[in-house]
Amino acid sequence: MTSLIVPLDDLERDALTELVNIGVSRAAVSLRKMAGEQVLLSVPAVEVVTRRGATTLIRERESGALIAVRQDFAGVFSGRALLIFPESNSMALVRSVTAGSLSAEDAAELEDEALAETGNVVLNSCLATMANMLQKPLTMSLPEVVRGDGSALFDLTLSNSEDAVVLFLYINFAINDREIRGYIAMLMDLPSIEALRGLIAEFIARVIGDAM
Amino acid sequence: MADAAPLPPTNGDMSGAVGAWNWDIASRLLVADARFASLYGLDPAAAAAGLPASAFFEPVLEQDRLRLRIAVAGALRGAEVFARDYRVLLDGEVRWVSARGRTYFDETDTPTRFAGRLTDVTEQKRLEERLRIAQTAGGVGSFEYLSGYGTADVSDEFCRLLGLHTAKSLPVRTINSVVHPDDPPIIQGRDGSGALGTAFHEFRIHRADTGEERWLASRGEYRPADRGGVSFIGVIYDITASKRSEAALRLLTETLEERVEARTQERDRIWNLSGDLLNIIEPDGTQRAVNPAWKRVLGHDEAELVGRSMECLIHADDLPLARTRLEALARGEPVAAFDTRLRAKDGSHRWINWTGMSDGETIYGIGRDVTQRKLLEEQLRHSQKMEAVGQLTGGLAHDFNNMLTGVMGGIDMARMLLAQGRLEDVDRLLEASMQSGQRAAALTHRLLAFSRRQALDNQPLDVGTLIGSMQDLLRRTLGEQVELHIDTPFELWTTLADESQLESAILNLAINARDAMPDGGRLTIAARNASLSEADLAGSDQAQPGEFVEILVTDTGLGMPPEVLAKAFDPFYTTKPVGQGTGLGLSMIYGFVQQSRGHVAIESQEGRGTKIRLYLPRHDGGSEGEATPEMPTAITGSGEIVLVVEDDPAVLRLMLDALRELGYRTIETASGKEAVPILQSRRHLDLLISDVGLPGLNGRQIAEIARQIRPDMPVLLMTAYTRDAGDEAGFLAPGIEVMQKPFSIDQLGRRVTRILRSPHGNSSAGVG
Amino acid sequence: MGTTVLIVDDSKLARIVLSKAVAALQPEWRRIEASNAEEALAKVASETVDVAILDYNMPGRDGLSLAEELRERFPEMPIAVATANLQDEIIARARAANASFVPKPVTEDGLRGFVSGAALRLRSPRA
Repeated sequence: MTSLIVPLDDLERDALTELVNIGVSRAAVSLRKMAGEQVLLSVPAVEVVTRRGATTLIRERESGALIAVRQDFAGVFSGRALLIFPESNSMALVRSVTAGSLSAEDAAELEDEALAETGNVVLNSCLATMANMLQKPLTMSLPEVVRGDGSALFDLTLSNSEDAVVLFLYINFAINDREIRGYIAMLMDLPSIEALRGLIAEFIARVIGDAM
Repeated sequence: MADAAPLPPTNGDMSGAVGAWNWDIASRLLVADARFASLYGLDPAAAAAGLPASAFFEPVLEQDRLRLRIAVAGALRGAEVFARDYRVLLDGEVRWVSARGRTYFDETDTPTRFAGRLTDVTEQKRLEERLRIAQTAGGVGSFEYLSGYGTADVSDEFCRLLGLHTAKSLPVRTINSVVHPDDPPIIQGRDGSGALGTAFHEFRIHRADTGEERWLASRGEYRPADRGGVSFIGVIYDITASKRSEAALRLLTETLEERVEARTQERDRIWNLSGDLLNIIEPDGTQRAVNPAWKRVLGHDEAELVGRSMECLIHADDLPLARTRLEALARGEPVAAFDTRLRAKDGSHRWINWTGMSDGETIYGIGRDVTQRKLLEEQLRHSQKMEAVGQLTGGLAHDFNNMLTGVMGGIDMARMLLAQGRLEDVDRLLEASMQSGQRAAALTHRLLAFSRRQALDNQPLDVGTLIGSMQDLLRRTLGEQVELHIDTPFELWTTLADESQLESAILNLAINARDAMPDGGRLTIAARNASLSEADLAGSDQAQPGEFVEILVTDTGLGMPPEVLAKAFDPFYTTKPVGQGTGLGLSMIYGFVQQSRGHVAIESQEGRGTKIRLYLPRHDGGSEGEATPEMPTAITGSGEIVLVVEDDPAVLRLMLDALRELGYRTIETASGKEAVPILQSRRHLDLLISDVGLPGLNGRQIAEIARQIRPDMPVLLMTAYTRDAGDEAGFLAPGIEVMQKPFSIDQLGRRVTRILRSPHGNSSAGVG
Repeated sequence: MGTTVLIVDDSKLARIVLSKAVAALQPEWRRIEASNAEEALAKVASETVDVAILDYNMPGRDGLSLAEELRERFPEMPIAVATANLQDEIIARARAANASFVPKPVTEDGLRGFVSGAALRLRSPRA
């Protein structure tokens, strides 16, 4: 069972879910444009878990090898965003985003580079949207492609302990008509969760104030 | 709603009413159909025409409203997916609704409208809740799988049974990966080609979280799916407990005989090889079986033991203990380990530590030979005793220094006064010095008794007379609360002992008894003749079997618990408050009796009083008449010649002065070398007084030489520390006596007078 | 003399996509590429560049800082910053450097406004 360690209350959790939802929706728009296909999203899940917990969570859902594009972000709150999908989907995704620009051979050669750029676009649009919503700027690192199991993907430089608590946000996506699915995940450590909490409160005040 | 993009999948099918809404973001206008209006309690016409968007929140239950508003705020700001279950209050009735919607964008990716469908899921919620409770309570997890797919829909309990994180759907690979490799997978027939109908199978898993192995069963049904393919719907549940008991039962029946045989052999082996004594005893103590260790440890054959009571082997002193333990065992009570001595075939005794068990009818005993351990314990106790002596010595040195200060200071002062011619105070000062000296002498005397190195002045002694003479003293000591009974028969044998020590021992015991009877009671001091066998004397290291005079001191006091009793003879062990006793009392008595080749036994029961028995050996030498009466008052000599051997000039000078003062003539020598020629000469000598510790020939040797040359001349040996004399006390040749240093001039005078007037002394004569 | 457009992006895929979009909009433009800011500055030094499209997120100097330097040296040059990082202050900084903001992923539609505006500006001084 994934144990919730830091109690974000229901409202904070909902607001955070919506923030991610907005960001990911924007990212889905980008991905849609790149792939030229419908992109389906799930309702985001937000959990505060240990890093090991995040690893097993992904591993149970995906028993095969994974590939991910990861990007670190820093600002009032810091963390890592990941675009994760089964390695077996990788080429399909690359072909999907390079269709019309590259031949299949070139695409294969450019696999990592194409993945990095896709991740860059998807994660940037997601994070930038969230930053705009929270009205706090974030700086983002260059994208990096990682292969391996969950633990390699979630190797947060911020905290080395397996037991370190992280905010784990993930959302399923699937590209219509193609066997492509994956996750967008975000990891934040405790100090960032605390900082985020304050921003969420402001966000709630804003949206409730002018909802109608 | 025609252009609505595919909605995300929802749980279950929407059996309730479905309404639709469209929220125009720019105009903040909510348009809803009649179904939506009826679910929300809105006027259908107004809803169709458009209401302020705030109508979306109006009937929503207070508790759910804020969360719904946040979710909608997300949708309005570009969150594509909207899925929310919440409660609305309609005509006083709470209904669950499920809203599923999405946000639509224009070509600049700006959100324009938020639309979706609303379903009444009240019934579904209730069913779901029931199902969830049923699954959780019953430990039943459900799953649904459609052939060809990579994932299966699962319930929370399903995930919990496998030790997985809860999820609505899981990859089939993940599900099947927890199954034991030798067992069939949980989800089968992935190609949809298997037989339709019900299916049941059992399998082992290794829980994903803990790795623990569990047995599960799966029961389900393969059915043609609506959308084509085959659906496999079923449940799993845990059957580990019944599997395990089933397996245990099977194993039990399969191997029962083999195991009975094997166990019997194993037990025979243990029985035969055990180094411990094993026996099976009837409640009355009769041994039914003994193992071969009895032969090895004690030398007894099995035939000699079986059918006979175990008691015939137990040491007499241990019998009461053994009996109470056996009785307890016979009653089925648990018994802690206890020690008894068992007689071996060769007559020696071995200490055996017993553990007993009883099933109510039969007693099973396990006895371990702990003789060696007992020996080590004894040695340890002794070394602890020595350590305690060492500690005492330090304290004694302190006391002695104080007393010496008194002696020396007094003399010093006296000398000063003498020098000043102030004679009137000298006597007082010398008296004070003398008292200090006497206190010191008394202390050494007691200590030496304790360390068994006291030179006992053993004489033939009538114990009855002694006790009789103590009556007055005892009554005064005991006070009115304690009733004293004295019981000494007239035909009591004579014993050989130091009178003053015995007196002190009896007095000490009487004082102990008095202290044990704070509310009064009865003290009986009795004496009788007794014969002790070797068995009676087990534990005594000095006494030899034979005839003894037994002195019993019995009180009706508090008695001692076993742990106190066990230490009663330990030096410095006292139950009295600090300052009320040295703790040396009983141990000194023990030392004195042992040194007198006697024996002490103590019996005590808490609340029932204490009985102490002192055994002193019968004196086989002379008759009662021989008991030496104390010498009459005259302590002066009449010119008898005394040869004195003493190497310490101060002591020598003192003795010569004293003897001359008393009317003796003296010949002084400082060593055997000087004394022997005198002994060999024809000079008349009446008495030889010699120090024991001398350079060259020691006092004993000089005495022996003297005995050879002048067999009738008495000898008085003086000793400060009489290792030799002490150990041999009472066994010196007749006519040789020992005197303990320090002594007063008065004591010396009495002693010399007595010796010279005794038969030996009277017949003393020169050589030839 | 034709128009030269400099496309700067560390991602080869992004350069291909950009290049394709530019070609579709202005087939006669000469397209040259650089994969980082230093390379871009070298190109600018060695030949005439009329238009620049810069990726924002690159190793080394980022596209905004490159845009600011180019603006100083070429006050009239049409410059676009392409990025998926659509944070308000990124857009504000691009505006401050008098550069257009082009959202990633770059599409013909997304680029059309900038390219046609640039073509117009390049033509007018000569006309």
